[in-house]
Amino acid sequence: MDTLITLIQIGIGAALINNFVLHYFVGICPFLGVSRRIDTAFGMGCAVTFVISIAAMLSWTFTYFILRPEAPLPAWVWQTCGGDPAVTVDLSVLSYIMYIFVIASSVQFVEMYVRKFFPPLYKSFGVFLPLITTNCAILFACLEIMKHLQEPAKLWGLHEALTLAVGGGVGFTIAITLMAGIREELDMCDVPKPLAGAGISLITAGILAMAFMGFAGVDKGIERTIGMLLQ
Amino acid sequence: MTTTSQKGGYISQAWLVILLAVIYGGALAGVQTALGPIIEKNKKNETLSKVPQLVEGAARELTVEVELADADGNRQTVYQAFADDGEKTLKGWILPAGGQGFADRIEVLIGLDPDASVITGLYVLDQKETPGLGNFITDEELFLNQFAGKSANQPLEVSTTDPVVGNQIRALTGATISSDSVAKIVNRAIAAYQQPLRRERAAATERNEKKD
Amino acid sequence: MATHEPTATERFVQGILPENPVYRQLLGMCPTLAVTGAMEPAMTMAAATAFVLILANVTVSLIRGLLKPHLRILVFTLTIATFVTIADRMLAAFLYEMSKQLGPYVPLIIVNCLIISRCEICSSKQGLFTAIADGVGMSIGFALALGSIATVREILGSGKWFGLAVLPEGWPAWGIMVLPPGAFLTLGLLLGIAEWIGQSRASRANQ
Repeated sequence: MDTLITLIQIGIGAALINNFVLHYFVGICPFLGVSRRIDTAFGMGCAVTFVISIAAMLSWTFTYFILRPEAPLPAWVWQTCGGDPAVTVDLSVLSYIMYIFVIASSVQFVEMYVRKFFPPLYKSFGVFLPLITTNCAILFACLEIMKHLQEPAKLWGLHEALTLAVGGGVGFTIAITLMAGIREELDMCDVPKPLAGAGISLITAGILAMAFMGFAGVDKGIERTIGMLLQ
Repeated sequence: MTTTSQKGGYISQAWLVILLAVIYGGALAGVQTALGPIIEKNKKNETLSKVPQLVEGAARELTVEVELADADGNRQTVYQAFADDGEKTLKGWILPAGGQGFADRIEVLIGLDPDASVITGLYVLDQKETPGLGNFITDEELFLNQFAGKSANQPLEVSTTDPVVGNQIRALTGATISSDSVAKIVNRAIAAYQQPLRRERAAATERNEKKD
Repeated sequence: MATHEPTATERFVQGILPENPVYRQLLGMCPTLAVTGAMEPAMTMAAATAFVLILANVTVSLIRGLLKPHLRILVFTLTIATFVTIADRMLAAFLYEMSKQLGPYVPLIIVNCLIISRCEICSSKQGLFTAIADGVGMSIGFALALGSIATVREILGSGKWFGLAVLPEGWPAWGIMVLPPGAFLTLGLLLGIAEWIGQSRASRANQ
């Protein structure tokens, strides 16, 4: 039960309370660039969620087994080659390079998948699909997972990492779709010329961020509610 | 294009990437060897620099790290604080603790007396509470100073009104959840590690007596 | 007919205002919004980005003759990731408090579109000196952008600048400015002002 509550907290935390776009400011470039129409925005959101999940799974695996300070694989290799067992092998300095390659590979994989099974979607994405590699949100998810794999006492399992990733992707999709809906309406409004485009989008994002601030404290409420329901 | 020339082509095209990977890997290894110890020292210093203000009379340099396990088997590093009086008298303990606050995780350091029955101080290491409201939990005058002297033998309670009686602490106006979270974190940590701390102190006294 | 390649001085000057990375090219938004709550983290982030940008430009410019077209993005990414790791470790070693405050945003410099685009547009095609000039120009422009937003947010949000109080005690701090909504609103309004200056300059030039 505790695990389930933790997972719900992580998921809702990533999707709503600490929304990747509106709280952590990651994924702003596609958020501003692709949010002109609801269907492209939703498609982009789904693609990003897909990529984040794969990237999170791969980066958790690599970090858990190779890159964290007490990882089993480097220690095994070190000892097999006759190294002193008291010395810890810490490969965490290679983390960022590893993550960016994982992300690039995940994007490549998703690109091939979409091209094979959803050709019209692939055409409508155009250059934006490979650009997901530079989407801060995915690297940010990997970094958050790495943060939770540092202390041996409180390691995150694959389920928690995946929940964070999917939650973050869902949150990104919610934010970008909301923005697309608002921008479709804004297109018919009389926006002052200097603010047209990025300016008014950012101001709208600010108001959206204010609205999402209302979600703060929801995870504590969930804990309390589930606690009460179970009694 | 024949397949053989393509295959040879892959290696001849990728040699630059492989060479760069090796060079960069070496550079990073060098950086890690040079800067790793400094970073570790910085991390330790964060806690050690707080020792004098959390445990009265303790000297920073004499602090010793000890690893303890609680009843559930969770392990935790705690710090023994000693006085700089030649005999290294145990002045108190520093117990790191953490938990969910209003916005995100709050990390604190709890100062305890040698018997782990009285809280001697509290310091907030890390928090992301609301600026201007919740983040006053880091303020000594407004919030932290009231923890010193509270009993660790019963859980802390949070009161939202004056006057404060017994083992209560006064919550910050407008930051009730943040204050409550800190109290819960302290209570949980003390409940889990009070007995292990007392056992460790008894074991250390025995070791000292055996040496004499 | 070969197109005119911008000279070093042109690259340098372009980077500061005419092709300002944040206000004109709309690149590197993530750190711009995240760390501009106060001047100190903003300037540290600008310095870290400058470090990575200039060194990456230098490296790519030196090996530009060896780059294969379809592997060049890979090489850029590898180079940038290495320099970002070095910058991150140096920050953790020498400016530990600031490194904790900046948190995950220093590694996010890797996916800062600004650096990859400069490698692609300038340093993979032009010489060492031009690449350095381009890097320095863009860094100054980025620092200016971060500084302008951080100034607004810090003064309005906490009455301080670089941690020193500049507004009288009685000023009620606009807490929202230090929080995410304030970042979006400030950047949006400042972008609007920059656009307006650009548009009025262009219309005056047309007259």
